[in-house]
Amino acid sequence: MSSQALLYVIVLPVAWLLLWPLKSTRSRQALLLFISYALYASWGLKFLGLLICSSVLNYGLGISLRRKQSVARLWLCIVLNVALLGTFKYLPAIAGLLPHSSLSSSFANVALPAGISFWTFQALSYLFDVYREEELDPSLLEFLLYMAFWPTVLSGPICRLSSLLPQFREIFKPAAENIRHGFDRIFTGLFMTALGQLLAGGLHAGQGIDGIFDSSTKGLTGPDVWCLAIGYGFELFFNFAGYTHIVIGAAHLFGFRLDENFDRPYLSTTPSEFWTRWHMSLSFWIRDYLFLPLVMMRREAWWRSFVLVVSMVVFGLWHKGALLFILWGLYQGILLVLHRQWQQVQRRYEWQWPQTIMGPLSWIVTFCAVCLGWVFFRADSVTQAFTMLRATAYPNKYASHTLPASLFLLVAALALGYFGTIGGQRLLRKYSGGLTMAMEVRVALYSVAVYVGVFHLAQTQAFIYFQF
Amino acid sequence: MKRLAILARWCLGLVIFVLVLEVCARIDDVVSYGAPFWGRYNDEILFRRDSIGKWGKPGARYAKWQLNSLGYRGPELRPGSIRIIAMGASETFGLYEAPDQEYPRQLERDLNLWTGKETFQVVNVAFAGETLPTSILRVPEIVEEIHPSYALIYPDLSSYIWMSVKTETGTASGSRASPASQARISFDSRLAGRVGNVLKQALPSAIQNELRKVSMRREIASRHYVVLERLPEDRVEHFRQDLHKLIATLRAHGVEPVLVTHATVFSKPLSESDHVPLTTWRKIYPMLKEEGFLDMEQRMNDVIRQTATDEHVSLIDADREMPHGTKYFADMVHFTTVGAGAMASILSNGLEPLLDSQLQKAANGTVQALPTEAKRPSTGLPQQ
Repeated sequence: MSSQALLYVIVLPVAWLLLWPLKSTRSRQALLLFISYALYASWGLKFLGLLICSSVLNYGLGISLRRKQSVARLWLCIVLNVALLGTFKYLPAIAGLLPHSSLSSSFANVALPAGISFWTFQALSYLFDVYREEELDPSLLEFLLYMAFWPTVLSGPICRLSSLLPQFREIFKPAAENIRHGFDRIFTGLFMTALGQLLAGGLHAGQGIDGIFDSSTKGLTGPDVWCLAIGYGFELFFNFAGYTHIVIGAAHLFGFRLDENFDRPYLSTTPSEFWTRWHMSLSFWIRDYLFLPLVMMRREAWWRSFVLVVSMVVFGLWHKGALLFILWGLYQGILLVLHRQWQQVQRRYEWQWPQTIMGPLSWIVTFCAVCLGWVFFRADSVTQAFTMLRATAYPNKYASHTLPASLFLLVAALALGYFGTIGGQRLLRKYSGGLTMAMEVRVALYSVAVYVGVFHLAQTQAFIYFQF
Repeated sequence: MKRLAILARWCLGLVIFVLVLEVCARIDDVVSYGAPFWGRYNDEILFRRDSIGKWGKPGARYAKWQLNSLGYRGPELRPGSIRIIAMGASETFGLYEAPDQEYPRQLERDLNLWTGKETFQVVNVAFAGETLPTSILRVPEIVEEIHPSYALIYPDLSSYIWMSVKTETGTASGSRASPASQARISFDSRLAGRVGNVLKQALPSAIQNELRKVSMRREIASRHYVVLERLPEDRVEHFRQDLHKLIATLRAHGVEPVLVTHATVFSKPLSESDHVPLTTWRKIYPMLKEEGFLDMEQRMNDVIRQTATDEHVSLIDADREMPHGTKYFADMVHFTTVGAGAMASILSNGLEPLLDSQLQKAANGTVQALPTEAKRPSTGLPQQ
């Protein structure tokens, strides 16, 4: 557990108790903003200053845009926000490539403010919505809160003002259902992040996914690379989806309903479906504010494919200004284009295969293709990524494996466990109308989740998306 | 009545929550370490007591600490090897290193890598809290069991602070808790220790340091300790005598001693980050001021160096050679896995000339000789 996590554990119950008796929405908003700023300040006071500056600037830009909706003003908004993001996110990477000088080295050492990619995209979504003449009239206090809202400011979900504003204006009424649901989500998240940590560290020291990626990956065979790719896919999912569960659950305790970020993504049967289930808040942001406006500019099929690829490259670049993330976005874009082409071929020749065959087949292809893409996302270098991918391409590389059997077993067990849990949930819902539990059983399960998430590993949980 | 029922249910929920956590901790111990589910499970199960004091229980295991059938940490004795015993306290026994990574184990691997075969076995005969006087008494038993050729002596210096501790009301008996048992590896409730570990990780070090200072001031007040600026000379002299006695005892049993000076986390001069471990150290020995520890280390290390010269004993100056900082030390004196590796390299480099001549002599007889171009182990140390 990190110092910041402990701070959240201490501050939030106190905040909850303080919010309870408040009847005025303004005082509630003010208290929430104070808490949000206090918690954000624990990541760095300078970062807080930057967040406040960005919030005030974007509020002003929003007012200006509402007065006169011109393309020039919108571009100004985009340029200012992208410049801010670029200064902290991409300039250090670019400076690192330049010949050594005092200027390049000082830029290369610029620290990344916590959650800047998330809150900058939230600001942009507000400005785009204002430009589209959506009825948004936040007060300065509400907008500051929207930008700094403690559950979402660090790693999303990237929320829209239209979904949060009505909730900011409601009176806080603690409801047993909210509390129960909130705790359910928090403890589920805790359990999932522990599973992610287990995959990262492995059953034995140095034999986890991260340890192997960080050591030499030369000599890996086909099964090894598949194990690492699938393992990392689940590690990232458990880590990020687990974090999102915690955030959504914590917000629920305070009566806020945040947008979902994951919807069982590994059950997707097409790449297009995958991107409506994985990191949904960013995926929908890219779709609404980048893909759709661009794709409507021309009607040709090639343009649509081109915009698809560009959108996915931006998706990759949003994570980090690095060649690997461009390649990852490119790979995902090509997958989406290939899927579209395949759909067109199916339509043209009227191929209709039985769903019992096509369903599992397309699930396997999608799952494998998505997982293979994670190699770009996680690899330490482009050379490492291509060396690993090359190993999957040659049949003679499938005769043996070099990774420890414990890692294969761990990845298989967690993958099967995940799919088994989803299957079990479906059966329960079908035959018993969902699982109802006595409070005592629920508390016992919470306790197990706390043990697994906090005490068993007894090490600080590193949320992967904090680096973006 | 309804409110009372709700309150009772909340209390029941809390009890269930804590109980399940404790059960999880116990199941974790069973699965991870083969610990018993019921009963006490702490570092005491590693030890038995005899007329001299604490001694390893054969085959005992607690968490990552595993003793062999003779009661020493590490694997069973290997016949046909040249044996080196590592004497000392918790620094040698190993507290924070990953299993099988304490410096005696790493030293054995380094030495065998140097010879290219399983020539040496380093037997860790140290225990947490072992002092020089008890080590002297243990020598006959150790020699009889292990038949070592060399003994590495890496003594715990701070145990001499406890000798005849002066209080405002008189003199307290010497042994309270040793540093090792202060850096406890034992818990009564299986959950309590884990909660403590999590809090240690999460609480900012500045807050932890302030809490230590408060606890230290309380202990000084409650036990009426006279706070010393520096360790009195008579205790340093006592240490010198013990060292001479240990060397004489080892030699009388045909074992060649090798002295090792004591290394700490502290850089010279002290860095800003050194104040936290210094306060931690003082919390264990509240009767000595912070500056007194560094002075004690310097004076007693000088004694080790002088004794080595006087007794014509080989000296390995770990105090001067060991890099400082938290990469190498988990607290003020105990090694991290990386630190244990660095220590093993220093010892290996220091021992090789000594062992080389022994092996050359042996080569003329019946024992195996060194390969002419022996592969040196990597030092694991930063390039100077």
